[in-house]
Amino acid sequence: MNQLALNTKDFKTTKIPKLQEIDTLLRCHICKDFLKVPVLTPCSHTFCSLCIREYLKDNSKCPLCLNELRESMLRSEFLVNEIVQSYQSLRSDLLECLKIEPRSTETSIIELESEPDDLEIKGSSKALFNISTDDDLQIVGTNERPRKRLASTTFIGKANKSNTYKRPSSFQSVLKGSTDRKNKQPQAQCPICQEAFPIQVLERSHLDECLTLQSLGKPPKLTVKKSTPPLRTLSSSSSSVDAGFRMSKKYMEKEDEVSHTERYLNSTLQSNHQRLPKVDFTAMTLNQTKQKLSSLGLSTAGTKQNMIVRYSHFEILWNSNFCDSLDPVDEGELRRQLISWEASHNTQTANNNNTNSIIAKMKIKSTNRDSTYEKLLVDFKKDTFNRRAWIVLFKKDFKRLIKEAKEKLKSSTTTSNDKNTQPSLELIENKPVIVDELTDTDLSKEIEEHLQNKEMQAFKEPSTSTQNE
Amino acid sequence: MSSSKRITKELSDMGRDPPTSCSAGPVGDDLYHWQASIMGPPDSPYAGGVFFLSIHFPTDYPFKPPKISFTTKIYHPNINANGNICLDILKDQWSPALTLSKVLLSICSLLTDANPDDPLVPEIAHIYKTDRPKYEATAREWTKKYAV
Repeated sequence: MNQLALNTKDFKTTKIPKLQEIDTLLRCHICKDFLKVPVLTPCSHTFCSLCIREYLKDNSKCPLCLNELRESMLRSEFLVNEIVQSYQSLRSDLLECLKIEPRSTETSIIELESEPDDLEIKGSSKALFNISTDDDLQIVGTNERPRKRLASTTFIGKANKSNTYKRPSSFQSVLKGSTDRKNKQPQAQCPICQEAFPIQVLERSHLDECLTLQSLGKPPKLTVKKSTPPLRTLSSSSSSVDAGFRMSKKYMEKEDEVSHTERYLNSTLQSNHQRLPKVDFTAMTLNQTKQKLSSLGLSTAGTKQNMIVRYSHFEILWNSNFCDSLDPVDEGELRRQLISWEASHNTQTANNNNTNSIIAKMKIKSTNRDSTYEKLLVDFKKDTFNRRAWIVLFKKDFKRLIKEAKEKLKSSTTTSNDKNTQPSLELIENKPVIVDELTDTDLSKEIEEHLQNKEMQAFKEPSTSTQNE
Repeated sequence: MSSSKRITKELSDMGRDPPTSCSAGPVGDDLYHWQASIMGPPDSPYAGGVFFLSIHFPTDYPFKPPKISFTTKIYHPNINANGNICLDILKDQWSPALTLSKVLLSICSLLTDANPDDPLVPEIAHIYKTDRPKYEATAREWTKKYAV
């Protein structure tokens, strides 16, 4: 489902691109995934319980309309929950059904029948006709099947057309029951064939049908399959129609397993657990914090800050689970979730802390240096100037400059010896570092040798150059 | 809810339904570090330019806004020399319901309509307010120089 949920624009390329809208509407605006345990805000917006609770930890407004919002205002939405779940369960089938095939081989009858915006119905209408033709076939009798079959094909053609225009109620109810799950026709299981049908259909036709079949000693499910051939011969049915039929059958089987309607109708908040309150840890001592956590069965490892973070996430998990969820898990599971959350979360924060601390250290270092530098600079041009400190501060820079200068000097002396005695003006302008060296090579040597306690004359220029850097 | 899941989702949406005149994607393997490009809106002095942005998603995205800055130099009252953008939705008005593509579109519209009343570069804002043709000329010149 995850992989599927990623593809938010799936329906854009199907026969009903407008389904995209539903696909988007059923998603949470925070995680952009399908709503999981949806909750409603007083401003009528819906989010996943966990997402919005996590958001409200640091904020107190609705992410969509920015109206005031607090955690206690959230209300669970069971209906949306079931809608999303039932939609999710049939989403892949829907996509499959609505896939646009490169070359459609559907016949004129199907085209007549099809309407621009509910092509999806096709599959299920076939299913219906399979059932209704069965009706005729079975009631008339079974011996004359081959002949009847021919007759029934023409009948189907008519029925199809008339249905497009009239749409008898039973037809529609089947449509709704099998395709439009959001309308949620109440469904019931046929006591004979064990299939789920919308109650109306069951009462009107299916029970009779099944009873007749039973009395004839026929397994009811078989007939549905048997009646497919006439359809195929009639419409030279394309594989998509066939797929559609199979799909609609699948829905019914699935419905058997989890009826979202039933779940919704029987849903009650039956929590034996109290809502976990927000705790003001600032007023608590370390021991009190530990007590609070261990009373909930939580680990008391780490600093107080760690424990506070742990509690606040557990509070989110707990409240989401016991206040909002239709089928809450037990406390042990919550603790497991907390541990796995913490494991993934802590690695991230640890990394952050590390980089932060390094940056902080670097900052301290640089600010220290800056402050001494500024202090020294104050009386740079006065007699009280602390030359020694200045040298110590820029020791590295000086060394580097001297090294650079020496290297350059080497290369320049090898090319021309004249420059040693007569530095050109251009050189002075363009390469000040070299100029220092060229004007007084001996001096640079001296600097290197007596870096700590030398006359300051020689330093003036390199020091100002570092200053410029 | 993990931030990487949501970022992956945004990436896939970006690919399927890219916003007009913008594009974005991760740099290398790091899902949390993206690069984006914005085409200068045609009705602005930035027309014809392509501006690059660097995007960093925080680990608690979408609860915290992404950090976005221009890497291309741009002459704009709300964007400074470091490429920092002064945009409310990137700061206190951020909402987890926003997506990167919406933010990029907001930046596009910021290029068309600057907000000189809340400037990041007061000098540019002053010129924008008092001598609009000069602002536009400079912006065009910078665009030609740095973004073409």
